[in-house]
Amino acid sequence: MPESTRALIDGVINGKRISTQELLQKIYKKLEEGYTEFEINASGQHNIGGSLWTQDGKPLKFYVKNPGQRVGSMGLEGTQIVIEGSSSADVGWLNAGAEIILKGDGGDTTAHCAANGKIYVAGRAGTRSGALMKHDPKFAAPEFWVLKNTGSFSFEFMGGGIAVICGYDCENLDSVLGYRSCIGMVGGTVYVRGSVKNLSDEVWLMDLDEKDLNFLKNGMTQFLNKIDKAEIYDKLTNFSDWKKIVAKTYEERNRRSFKPIIDYRQNKWVEGGIFGDIIEEDYFVANFYETSDLRLKFPEWRNAAYSAPCEYSCPISIPTQKRISLLRQGKIQEALNLVLDFSPFPGSVCGQVCPNLCVEECSRKYIDDPVKVKDVGLLSKSLDVKMPEKELDKKVAIIGSGSAGLSAAWHLRRQGYQVDILEEDNIIGGKLKQVIPTERLNPEILDTELNRIKSIGVNCKTSAKVDKDMFKQLQNYYDAVVVAVGAQNPVVIPFEGHERLVKGLDFLKAVNKGEKPSVGEKVVVIGAGNAAMDVVIGAYEMGAKEVTSIDIQKPAAFDKEIEHAKKLGAKILWPRYTEKVTEKGVYLKDGTLLEADTVIISIGDRPDFSFLADEYLDERGRVKVNDYNQSEVNEKVFIPGDAIKPGLFTHAIGDGRKVAINIDRMLSGKELDNFERAPVLPADRVKNEFYHPMNSNNILGMDAVDETKRCMSCGFCRDCYFCLEACPEQAITRNENKDGTFEYISNPHKCIGCGICAGVCPCGVWAMLDNVEKYLEA
Amino acid sequence: MATIKVNKLSRDDLPWQLEYNTDRCTMCGRCVASCPFNAIEAGVEKRRKITSSDVTPNPKANFLTVPIIKQVVDCTHSCRGCGICEKVCPNTAIKPVRNEDERFAIKYRGALADPYKRGGRSNLNTEGRTLDKIKIGRISQMTDPSLDAQRHTFDMLAPLGRILPPEQIPFEVQGDELKLAKKIPPVRWVYPIILGDMSIGALSWRMWEAIAIATAYLNEEIGLPIRMCTGEGGIPSRLLRSEHLKYMILQIASGHFGWNRIISAMPEMIEDPAAILIKIGQGAKPGDGGLLQSKKVAKHIQEIRGVPKADLLSPPNHQGLYSIEESVQKMFLSFNAAFKFRVPVAIKVAASATSVSVYNNLLRDPYNIVGGFFLDGISGGTGAAHEISLDHTGHPAVSKLRDCYLAAVHQGKQGQIPLWAAGGLGMTGNLAADAFKMYSLGANGVFTGKLILQLAGCVGNDSGKCNACNTGLCPVGICTQNPVLVKRLDIDKVAENIVNYFLAVNHEFKKLMAPIGNSSLPVGRSDALVSVDKSVADRLKIQYAC
Repeated sequence: MPESTRALIDGVINGKRISTQELLQKIYKKLEEGYTEFEINASGQHNIGGSLWTQDGKPLKFYVKNPGQRVGSMGLEGTQIVIEGSSSADVGWLNAGAEIILKGDGGDTTAHCAANGKIYVAGRAGTRSGALMKHDPKFAAPEFWVLKNTGSFSFEFMGGGIAVICGYDCENLDSVLGYRSCIGMVGGTVYVRGSVKNLSDEVWLMDLDEKDLNFLKNGMTQFLNKIDKAEIYDKLTNFSDWKKIVAKTYEERNRRSFKPIIDYRQNKWVEGGIFGDIIEEDYFVANFYETSDLRLKFPEWRNAAYSAPCEYSCPISIPTQKRISLLRQGKIQEALNLVLDFSPFPGSVCGQVCPNLCVEECSRKYIDDPVKVKDVGLLSKSLDVKMPEKELDKKVAIIGSGSAGLSAAWHLRRQGYQVDILEEDNIIGGKLKQVIPTERLNPEILDTELNRIKSIGVNCKTSAKVDKDMFKQLQNYYDAVVVAVGAQNPVVIPFEGHERLVKGLDFLKAVNKGEKPSVGEKVVVIGAGNAAMDVVIGAYEMGAKEVTSIDIQKPAAFDKEIEHAKKLGAKILWPRYTEKVTEKGVYLKDGTLLEADTVIISIGDRPDFSFLADEYLDERGRVKVNDYNQSEVNEKVFIPGDAIKPGLFTHAIGDGRKVAINIDRMLSGKELDNFERAPVLPADRVKNEFYHPMNSNNILGMDAVDETKRCMSCGFCRDCYFCLEACPEQAITRNENKDGTFEYISNPHKCIGCGICAGVCPCGVWAMLDNVEKYLEA
Repeated sequence: MATIKVNKLSRDDLPWQLEYNTDRCTMCGRCVASCPFNAIEAGVEKRRKITSSDVTPNPKANFLTVPIIKQVVDCTHSCRGCGICEKVCPNTAIKPVRNEDERFAIKYRGALADPYKRGGRSNLNTEGRTLDKIKIGRISQMTDPSLDAQRHTFDMLAPLGRILPPEQIPFEVQGDELKLAKKIPPVRWVYPIILGDMSIGALSWRMWEAIAIATAYLNEEIGLPIRMCTGEGGIPSRLLRSEHLKYMILQIASGHFGWNRIISAMPEMIEDPAAILIKIGQGAKPGDGGLLQSKKVAKHIQEIRGVPKADLLSPPNHQGLYSIEESVQKMFLSFNAAFKFRVPVAIKVAASATSVSVYNNLLRDPYNIVGGFFLDGISGGTGAAHEISLDHTGHPAVSKLRDCYLAAVHQGKQGQIPLWAAGGLGMTGNLAADAFKMYSLGANGVFTGKLILQLAGCVGNDSGKCNACNTGLCPVGICTQNPVLVKRLDIDKVAENIVNYFLAVNHEFKKLMAPIGNSSLPVGRSDALVSVDKSVADRLKIQYAC
């Protein structure tokens, strides 16, 4: 046991400063010797008083003068350190329980990281004082008392403990905590007296409560006693001067306190928006899919807005899809009658001689075979028709009773016009009757249909040749004249021996009239068009054994006609150039002889306009007409069919119908119609996927009325309800109209414009229209 | 019909294919209703199964026709991969998938004889990004104090305007005070990132207004003195007459669109604009003028720009400028004079092999009327350009910015004409990092456009996704004038996202400035950078590290 209770340690020995290490070693030595009280006269040595203890737990006391940095750093509980005068940085750094009484000012980072014990400063503390203070709940909370003020950035990252900054003699300071203190503070309490500025926004500056007052009252007495300033107790305990600083909680810290943008926009931004004067803006935020005007597309039920391929391809524009639709609806009579609004020859032409352009593009051909339109046509062959409902005074003369003339007559008469047909031949029917082999056209069907025309009151005068004078008279007597003379002048090429040629047209007429013209065994037909094929058939019918058809070019006849002729045994040769015709037959330019008992030429026919005045004709002898098949020089005169341009029966029938309609329009004072057709339905609008191919044999065996199952109803609603069922928004309704028709309607307030209706519509009736482009137009 | 022939475009030619699961699809129609490109449609599909379930062969045909969603195979309605269908599908039954074997570039041109146009950025990122090969590698440790990003006060301002060297500042002593003897060029100290540079027309009115609101908000509510460049497509009169005009850098490009309105609003302006930017060229399509396709020239655009509905092509050059000297005289002088020499005037050019010459010339400007040099690199974006321009013309910004800075250093004039750089900055999502590296290489500030669109909800990317800015059919309402589409955009959310992003950027700047110990922007502090690529290091004169 030492003699004196207090060890005296000097930092300067023999006028020379000893190092920190030497000084600390001296302390350790004294401690080992049993000293617990130290008086240290330092010369700036560091770390005095820290991390020291006694084995028996006896308290340690240090009286320190003139220390260096970190006095009492890492001090343990049971250590008291009293420092005379001021000290430099880090007094009480990492304090782990010591009581440190600093009688002067503290340098920077006083009480830095203090986690236990008490630090009393009788003056000021420097920057970052109290930074990173902590409180481990296993120990008492650290306390840090400062009589005056701290420097800037104090209490940064403070996590616990208590600091008391008394602001004594600091009335002239802007902030007793300097600039931007308490940054990163997450716990603990800083009591402060006096003005505080630029605090971190991570803390609250609050008023004191009762608990705070009790703590401060008790603590203040002790603090002031320790630093020998008991006399200012009253001055410092006017608690209206005090505040406390606590950290925001984790939740409070993460709360955003910015002004919502919408508040800014509505209150501080340009009123009504910067575009408010040029564009309507409600700031509504739309979903990706919306109804009504905010749809990208909208649907429309466009029933019959397009031509079906059959209707479009038919020169008469017979809407077969509509006929079948009516059949499908059970409106059988209506369906069969419909065709008569277009042609008086559904049996003879559609059902027999027509090459049926209608089904060439039939959508069904992409599934299996086209709709059996011939059979459908024949369904209407023997329909009875009534007399017109009304009789008109107006009269129309029709020159020629071929398909064009009869078609015109039929339609005019059904309107109630008085129609007289003037036919040069002794029979009516034109080429249908005169030249088409009965093998191809059943005379019974033709006669039925010719009689049906007569039955509605068409007046036919046969053997009535019209000449120039008569033509003039007709114009006086009739309100309109239809020149439907067809092409009755066969073309002959003037090669050597042409006088030997039999003209095809004459030959066929003779055959059909039963005159049985004799042809011998070998026949050569010059020409290989459709009419020439009829000649071939006629020649075989008249007993020929070997018929050869020649042409200078690829045969113009349809494949079907050529097949027919070939089946009978005909040879069709091309290119072959005729040199001359002799009694032996046809010599070709290459010297070959085609032996023939009869040579028939069938390379086309021209119209005979000898009854027309010159002004009707152009310099090449063709009649001058406008787009309405109306004479350019006489508006009462209309010219349909082959007389204008050689074509199929359907072309002639179509022309006749158009002419009839335009005569009616002219006589009713209406503008003439150019019969513009709706565009053909694009092929991909019809949904093939709904149809399953049938075996051809099964198709052959089907009844014509069952074509309702095969017709794909292009562009024509088949009333299947598919759209109505598929619509995800259930926006579609089906309305029944008073006239027995129906329509489907999509409700824009429900529809989102997805286009499923159009996507599933088997017939391509629903169309999706753009709803966007309209906004971009000026 | 359903036939496919060799020369017909087919699904496997397309860059994006729909992955569609008919089992999960309920045919709710939302995907089709949402797709502005008409790239998908409803249809029906046929199923056919011939089965035999007897002990001897006994065929039974079972047909099924099923409504489905399908892809449109068509050059002009090809899927853009925008993925809106996927977003709206309640059942995850549909999404676009990139087709690696696509042949669209060939098929499109072969079918339409049209040089393909699109929006977006260069899609040929074959080289990798230079900026990603640069690290901030000089950290203050023991050498000098690093700073605390949280606590430290940083000065993050960049000059916009001509900076005079100290010896040229005309100070004189008047009595006891030091005063300026004459006017000096105007300089604005602003946040070192400028937003926008995208026109009304290229952007929807909502998108444009959202950027303007975000800019004003950042200034007024947050305290970031950020500026927005208007692009050249006219400016709404209401904005010209408002106090917010001070945040706007008015652009004039070769089309001079909308300037009549700006000029006629001058008597009623209560604030000067922040600056004028003369656009000579654009990084995404250098040598090409602006292009606004007619689908976007809606009524209000026609009005603001004073033109009818048509494809609006700006000339590639400012007409009437034939030399650098002339452009200094005509453009700089005129636009300085326009606001009585109170507003700085800067110029924007596409980075080019010639940029240093231009900058050197401008540095000699004896009239002190050149207030900034904006350099736009190849990775910049655009609303519409020929794909060939986007992918194959242009010059990277990084080395050119560095060259310009070092050229100024060589003359001892660095900082006098502030350098602002752009072109794909922030394209990988982190603008702060890209900007910081550019500052260290010598940029005073940067400007950014496409990143703003990404913040707003742009679904496109730089590998061919969407890129339909030119079509007027932007599926998210950003690059379209069509009300149906524009109404999809939430103006407040867009502004909020922009504001939030810049709050983050502002913080991230500090996280970079602190470790290198800079309190102010480290302009030209290339010692802070290292490159892990030797050639990059050599070219940029920074340290190579490995």
